Amino acid sequence: MMARKVMLLGEIGVGKSSLARRLVFDKFDFDYKPTIGVDVYRYEVAASGTRPAVSLILWDTDGNFGDAIFKHIYMKEAAAALIVGDMSRTPTLDSMAKLGDGFASAFPGRHIGYIINKTDLAADPEAAPLPTALTWPGRSLLRTSAKTGSGVADAFVDAANSIARRG
Amino acid sequence: MSSPEWKLIEAGSLLAQFETFGLIWLNADLSVEDTFGPLVSFVGVGKPVTDSILAFIGLEQEIRSLRETTTRVLELPAVSVFTHDNPTAKLNFTIFWNAGRDCAMALAYKSAAQTELEIELSRQIRARLMAEAAVTAKSKELARANIDLESFAAIVSHDLKAPLRHMRQMTEAAFDHVGIDDAQAVRNSLRAIETQSRRMSDMLTALLDYSTLGRKYEAIESVDTRQLVEVIGRSLPETRHRMSIQGSWPKVSTLRAPLDLVLRNLIANAIQHHDQPSGEIVVSCADDAQNLVFQVADDGPGIDPKHHDTIFLPFRTLKDSEQSSSTGMGLAAVRKTIDAARGSISIASDPATARGTTFSVYWPKSIGD
Repeated sequence: MMARKVMLLGEIGVGKSSLARRLVFDKFDFDYKPTIGVDVYRYEVAASGTRPAVSLILWDTDGNFGDAIFKHIYMKEAAAALIVGDMSRTPTLDSMAKLGDGFASAFPGRHIGYIINKTDLAADPEAAPLPTALTWPGRSLLRTSAKTGSGVADAFVDAANSIARRG
Repeated sequence: MSSPEWKLIEAGSLLAQFETFGLIWLNADLSVEDTFGPLVSFVGVGKPVTDSILAFIGLEQEIRSLRETTTRVLELPAVSVFTHDNPTAKLNFTIFWNAGRDCAMALAYKSAAQTELEIELSRQIRARLMAEAAVTAKSKELARANIDLESFAAIVSHDLKAPLRHMRQMTEAAFDHVGIDDAQAVRNSLRAIETQSRRMSDMLTALLDYSTLGRKYEAIESVDTRQLVEVIGRSLPETRHRMSIQGSWPKVSTLRAPLDLVLRNLIANAIQHHDQPSGEIVVSCADDAQNLVFQVADDGPGIDPKHHDTIFLPFRTLKDSEQSSSTGMGLAAVRKTIDAARGSISIASDPATARGTTFSVYWPKSIGD
């Protein structure tokens, strides 16, 4: 089975670990535990009519690397990055495009997904305003709630589809 | 049993037993040849090391080429692997080339950041960082709101007073004329009051529109700028002024509605404030490194340099406000919209030397950075 490394990037406290745990264990920890270093998860995306099964190796970073992250050994051979922001904290959304641009520059041609997490905190997540840079055409923008599970699997299937297309 | 070798083996065995470290020997194909110590008991012997230590996936080439490197060491700090059964302990991995046995080996030892105290400390630092970031964002928002509020207070107290004062005077005049039974004069006063109240209503509407500029989140879309300016030209009221479009007008990803507002207001402004029944308006576009540079040039009377700053303030018009149909918000809206897009605008005009005014708009090619 194709195994590909996917980086989870984003500011601290945006829910990267919660997304990974919701995806892999289908559970949500109400008690916030910061990630120190990196946690690595495996998630297998079943084959679809147009794509073989893909084993996603999720690298959940502690979000504390700054710009140095793109040169870190952890990033070697990354096939995709999922950039996560917290819908309820605008500064975390503002930094998403910059992180995505940094990844695109270091790893041209790889998939970048932008995940707006914590949609459970918004009355109408689709209507909530986003930084314009995130809404540019061609960006893969998805809304999730690790708490309820809404949109989480879709975000990773979207990444698997894109990775498979790119080979 | 007392030879130095045995002492070393015994020491190593004890340290491994107490989970101070664990060792993994790797074959050339990166399958696991052997392991030592309970700390790495989760690693399957005979299987690819990447089956057990997911963090090694993607690093195969680096591990294989350790033999050729000068340091022969690869560090992977603070890694834990989560499986459906159990997470591993948070481990530091040092992968190195064992020249004696000509194979790669991994030394695993518990991460120093695993004590409860350090985790709690990290949690508190992060909570503080998040709180500080939130406070900083709120402070900036508050500062912006305060500037807006001051600006509004100044506008409301100064500019909206004029029509109110006029209405009060007309009301007093109407009372006086009622006293002397001059119905026509009363009608004139009431008409003047009606005109002023309408003007005030227009000003308030314009002020409210102005207040929301730059706060709406507009979508970035593909815009054919030539098509945009042609549509603007066709949609303006019938006029004897001639508008020509010059330069290179690209297709760009940008904020359509705000750019439309800027160009539309500048062109309309050039026509509205022209002092001749027919004139020339030249709209052009050029491309510098960071911006699209739009210019709107007219051959009108020009604007005295002493007014170059004030014309961008709300309710400022160089014509007599009583006579003008303009609310004086057009250029203020232009400036605010350009500011929100992080662009800039400049004006070149001096009636003392030549007729005409040229507005230059520097519109960022990359919006939202």
